[in-house]
Amino acid sequence: MRQPEIEAMDRGELELLQLERLQSTLTRAYRQVKFYRRQFDRLGLNLDDIKSLADLARLPCTTREDLSENYPYGLFAAPLRDIVRILSSPGTTEKPLVVGYAPPDLKLWLELLARLYVAAGVTREDILQIILPPGLANWRRDLQAGAEYLGASVIPPATLNFAKELMVMRDYKTSVLVTTPPLARHLLTVMARMDLSPAALSLKRALLVASPLPPEVRREIEAGFQVRLATAYGITEVMGPGLAFSCGADGGLHFSEDHFYPEIIDPETGNPAPPGAPGELVITTLSTVAFPLVRFRSGDRTSLIAEPCACGRTLTRLGEITGRTDPIFSVGGIKVHPDQVGALIREALGGHPPKFQHQVVSEDGLEILDIELTVEEVFFSDEIKALECLCRRARRHLADHLGINARITLKELGA
Amino acid sequence: MLKIKNLSAYYGSVKALSGVTCHVREGEIVTLIGANGAGKTTLLNAICGLVRKDGDLAFAGRSLKGLAPEEIVGLGISQVPEGRQLFAPMTVAENLELGAYRRYRKESRAAIGEDLERVFELFPRLKDRLAQLAGTMSGGEQQMLAIGRALMARPRLLLLDEPSLGLAPIVVEDILARLSQLRNEGVTILLVEQNARAALKVADRAYVLETGRIILSGLAADLLQDRQVTRAYLGRDYKEFTEGR
Repeated sequence: MRQPEIEAMDRGELELLQLERLQSTLTRAYRQVKFYRRQFDRLGLNLDDIKSLADLARLPCTTREDLSENYPYGLFAAPLRDIVRILSSPGTTEKPLVVGYAPPDLKLWLELLARLYVAAGVTREDILQIILPPGLANWRRDLQAGAEYLGASVIPPATLNFAKELMVMRDYKTSVLVTTPPLARHLLTVMARMDLSPAALSLKRALLVASPLPPEVRREIEAGFQVRLATAYGITEVMGPGLAFSCGADGGLHFSEDHFYPEIIDPETGNPAPPGAPGELVITTLSTVAFPLVRFRSGDRTSLIAEPCACGRTLTRLGEITGRTDPIFSVGGIKVHPDQVGALIREALGGHPPKFQHQVVSEDGLEILDIELTVEEVFFSDEIKALECLCRRARRHLADHLGINARITLKELGA
Repeated sequence: MLKIKNLSAYYGSVKALSGVTCHVREGEIVTLIGANGAGKTTLLNAICGLVRKDGDLAFAGRSLKGLAPEEIVGLGISQVPEGRQLFAPMTVAENLELGAYRRYRKESRAAIGEDLERVFELFPRLKDRLAQLAGTMSGGEQQMLAIGRALMARPRLLLLDEPSLGLAPIVVEDILARLSQLRNEGVTILLVEQNARAALKVADRAYVLETGRIILSGLAADLLQDRQVTRAYLGRDYKEFTEGR
């Protein structure tokens, strides 16, 4: 454990610490962010009314639409001159997602990443190779910074092809691989093609991030690389990776409750779910200065495991992520809303609203968004070349804006 | 050691402190910083039972609810009040003895004598001035005496209110250095200071109070670097502050 005094803290003390941090976070949010002040005032609530952690449920949730409506700086709780990082990502609404960091936030974040790595068994002796797609820019940067902060030797993400990545992995004697579950599966297929056996590598561990890891995929990757797996949970709106992390006991992910307060709600009613019951994960920041979030709806369907863990940590655990409560889906770890896909294809078609169906398919482990576009008369052309050009344009548009791989096939109207 | 939950405190009908939750662990120096009127002194007075309050306060697992100030002292909490509040016409020796007034009936004179020696070790100057009238000493010496007097009650938790008030910077440094020494000897300290920079340098953790509520908390070393704190309480970046953006 990196911080045993926190990670294995007495629950009563932890809850008091959470309450004091929650109250000061709400005070800052109320005094410095109009949006939160209005939420309190509309309900006739006073800061003093939040006397316990359970009282937090009296406040409304914050959604991705709220972030979008307050674009770009509306939810910042610190003046811009105190902000040292303004993070942007495509987000899942029309507007990019903006998150601000003040210096204490960056420091907190590095500490949490170090916590995650230590729990994963990574030490400063390790050689760590990060293979993440450019679309996961924030994860790439954070995971690199965190590993460097810990003192490991880091091979940052590069734009190498996968065979070269594997060559680096073998020749540099990489001991820890950081990647997404789909990319790990893809690397296995490339290894098979290269006839590279895991025995030729020095890999001991793999940290898989950014998308859920179903048990069967986990077993496949574990066996394929012959490594111990660790996972982590995070969402960009709440800083990124390192919100929750796996431990040696591997029964769920420990939530960094000293800095983030998790709740599970019934996604339909918005009411708190009974202890242990599945529902939507809602997160409140307890320590961040620049961008406090009160009851942010993650959209992830999961549960919390309160029972003590064999590893000795008392931090509550996040169960398996079983799906989403909204239409957002993941393509190789990148979150996408169907409306975004529709809007982008429409742009590629010169403003014509498209009829299409989509699904995420796996090709040699890689996740691809497969789109079946219905050909209509408006843009119908006899020339195959013109239609191909259209597909290419739409594909490039999706890659440009969302950083995802897409395949577009045309379907005749009425076929 | 000290746990405070949802504490509100009042002067008459004025609410000076509102929904404060905080804690002090054994062996820590924790400082409360904030502007004038933020509620720092009120928080100390609420702990000592000197103002009307709501909320849960517990010291070493015991609730402080309904306890009279002298009973709270008996539990091991002593306050060094703002402005020292010495008995000016009395000698240094008499002031120190008064600090131990609750112990005379219960404990041997030898035990009290030992504590007197401890105070002299910490502040050798007091030993040289035992017979001097407290009111005739310099500000720094008076502050030493005030701390010495509080220590004579053998507190487990020492509350200090603005010990640097009216003292020259070099004297402040000296007195705060003694606080680290005290902490190393096992005394837990809650320090209220307007001189935020000096306090943050000596403290382990800090809470920032703003108009009766805690708005920020963290390691003292981190808050010393924090831009918001620097601007608001450390008097730095004046130019940056006035120019705004």
